[in-house]
Amino acid sequence: MPAQSSAAPAGGARFQTRTEVDFVVIGSGAAGGVLAKELSTAGFSVVVLEQGPYLRPSQFRHDELGGFFNFDLLPKPSDFPTTFRKTEKDEATVQAFPPSVLYAKLVGGSSVHFTANYWRFRPIDFVERSRIGPIEGTGFADWPITYPELEPYYTKVDWEVGVSGAPGPGDPFRSRPYPLPPLPVKSSGVLLEQGARKLGLHAVPAPMAILSRPHNNRASCIHCGFCMFFGCEVGAKSSSLASMIPLAEATGRCEIRPESTVFRIETNAAGRVTQVLYWDQDGKEQAQRAKAVVVSANGAETARLLLLSESSRFPGGLANSSGTVGKYLMLNGYCTAYGYFEHPLNEYKSVQVTRVIMDHYDTDPGRGCYGGGGIDARFDMYPVLFGLGGLPGDAPQWGPEYKRMLAEYYTHTMAVAGHSTSLPLLSNSISLDPKVKDKYGRPALRLTYQDHPDDLKILRFFQGRCKELLDAAGAKRVWANPVQEQNVAVHLLGTCRMGDHPAESVVDKYHRAHDVRNLFICDGSSFVTSGRGQPTMTIQALAFRAADHIVQFARRGEI
Amino acid sequence: MTDLSSRRDFVASSSTLVGGAWLAFHLPAVQAAAAHARRALARRAPFEILTPEEAKELEAVAAQIIPTDDTPGAREAGVVYFMDQALGTFGGQFLQPIRGGLPDLLKAARAKNPAVRSFAELSFEQQTDVLRGMEHTPFFGAVRFLTVAGMFGDPSYGGNQDQVGWKLIGFDGGHAHQPPFGYYDANARPE
Repeated sequence: MPAQSSAAPAGGARFQTRTEVDFVVIGSGAAGGVLAKELSTAGFSVVVLEQGPYLRPSQFRHDELGGFFNFDLLPKPSDFPTTFRKTEKDEATVQAFPPSVLYAKLVGGSSVHFTANYWRFRPIDFVERSRIGPIEGTGFADWPITYPELEPYYTKVDWEVGVSGAPGPGDPFRSRPYPLPPLPVKSSGVLLEQGARKLGLHAVPAPMAILSRPHNNRASCIHCGFCMFFGCEVGAKSSSLASMIPLAEATGRCEIRPESTVFRIETNAAGRVTQVLYWDQDGKEQAQRAKAVVVSANGAETARLLLLSESSRFPGGLANSSGTVGKYLMLNGYCTAYGYFEHPLNEYKSVQVTRVIMDHYDTDPGRGCYGGGGIDARFDMYPVLFGLGGLPGDAPQWGPEYKRMLAEYYTHTMAVAGHSTSLPLLSNSISLDPKVKDKYGRPALRLTYQDHPDDLKILRFFQGRCKELLDAAGAKRVWANPVQEQNVAVHLLGTCRMGDHPAESVVDKYHRAHDVRNLFICDGSSFVTSGRGQPTMTIQALAFRAADHIVQFARRGEI
Repeated sequence: MTDLSSRRDFVASSSTLVGGAWLAFHLPAVQAAAAHARRALARRAPFEILTPEEAKELEAVAAQIIPTDDTPGAREAGVVYFMDQALGTFGGQFLQPIRGGLPDLLKAARAKNPAVRSFAELSFEQQTDVLRGMEHTPFFGAVRFLTVAGMFGDPSYGGNQDQVGWKLIGFDGGHAHQPPFGYYDANARPE
């Protein structure tokens, strides 16, 4: 467990709740961190309300039991239960383990504990509906923006947040090279290259939001191997906590207010947002006044907050005249295959991923379904996880042979993973559970999710490719878990989708709520389609772009 | 938010292998438990939760799951100390399946050899036979989970003493590494 949070850290501005600040930003994660930094740098006063604690890099530990089993960086499921049901006809229940919705709850949000794969979307992602036509029964649609419009902001992420990588064949246009060379290749990366060559595919350095060299006054990676699910103790992982929050505080115009749980956005008779209600670190109700509000609370909590902010003027939820708040949730598909190799790989060292394959990105009618994705070589098992479930399914689970295999396999095993599309379905959603409440008495997050048949089909396709790659790389043994329907939400995408038509979407192309002039919403919820499995790079590019437009609106008095 | 999806794999494997036993929803202060475990070990305190008899039985089961051979096993790792601490704190939900299963363990042991007063008194081979018949019980799931967690978790929790679990699998507990990391990247020829 990380040590006690410091609720009042040094640095940054301090505002009275009575003071009407220019912006309240709700959430300090991938999007909120960027918006806080950009808006305060542009000269505006900003209060960031973050429900989690403000931890320092020195407080992050390599404690697998604490990280995975005590939910050190997550909402405690006992205080904040979540429920799951497959379809609207089912009754949602609290799952034994794990929680149905997973995100990190601290300053920096899930960008603190993510793996930091930073794939850009490609031009096709924004216009795929026009290219391949409608898909019946889905909300498959084009984005109201295109890759060329977003490209300058991807480049801003590369340079300001800090991304390491090198261009590969088929990469989308980039206006500036990567600021940092790729991280050193691991054995899994070398083997993926070998397998790819044999199969006529192309393995290229993985774009990672982890510093391969010192950059922007931050230290580079020490290859400790504890990226996924852990905070980076040297600040080399380009979380909002490491990259954006310090710059926001340094302006002297931004206050990060941790342990502040927002439960309602209030509006006046004119339909404008006036203040944000939250519980402070002592559980006391507070109201922060603001000229405008930006919601960046992640695709689950953003939807819950808007639904909870309903009023007689905004029945069914704030900014929800379209009825699509919480709908069209997309989680991305994920599958893995594992391979055992003759020589030691020691994959527990360094970052999780060093090589990726993008040859199957586009939808191919020959596969008999919609969808595409990317493949990476990785290892994602810390020692306890490996002991619990790292061996092939038919291996003994206890006894002398189990022990012998653990000793032999831990350093000799790698995974190849497929990451793929999810179609937007109106029936997949985040909503308010009618029965289960959290410790504040709010309705629990309710996940309703059933993969589209094409999403499962493309996953099975990718699992086949992953196994082939391991075979081609010379694995002595290859195994995989069967592809299963999803019941845990990790990537939280699409729940306040962007669009030109107020009847079909929640925000416009500038992330302004169609229904509320001084309310902006920017995070994974803005996505129209799911991309190919790694959303955070695009979340941050959208945040930089949104900030640019919000600053212009504010300066022109158009908020 | 990127890419924590591989948790799904872990979740899939752990929830089935633990037999749904790790209902970790009411886990207070794991940290406090770790500190407590260190203090208890330092003064060789008696078990907090387990009776000496229970501890002996559980240690025997743990030593079946990860036996001692030419390298240390669960016994040398001090897994039973980890269990005692876990059962008194963050792993309290395992107490019921464990206490509920111990009488069955004894019954099965006596069926194998009526002369014994405990499972631990059976020969190693007899113990193995008995556990084969209990593999799918909540009792075994709970003990297996705690054994693996105690063998490979951070030593601050009382198990994995002298990092014997990490040494077994070749996990270097160091907090920084330099390339080359493994055989294949060390021997990769530049194209």
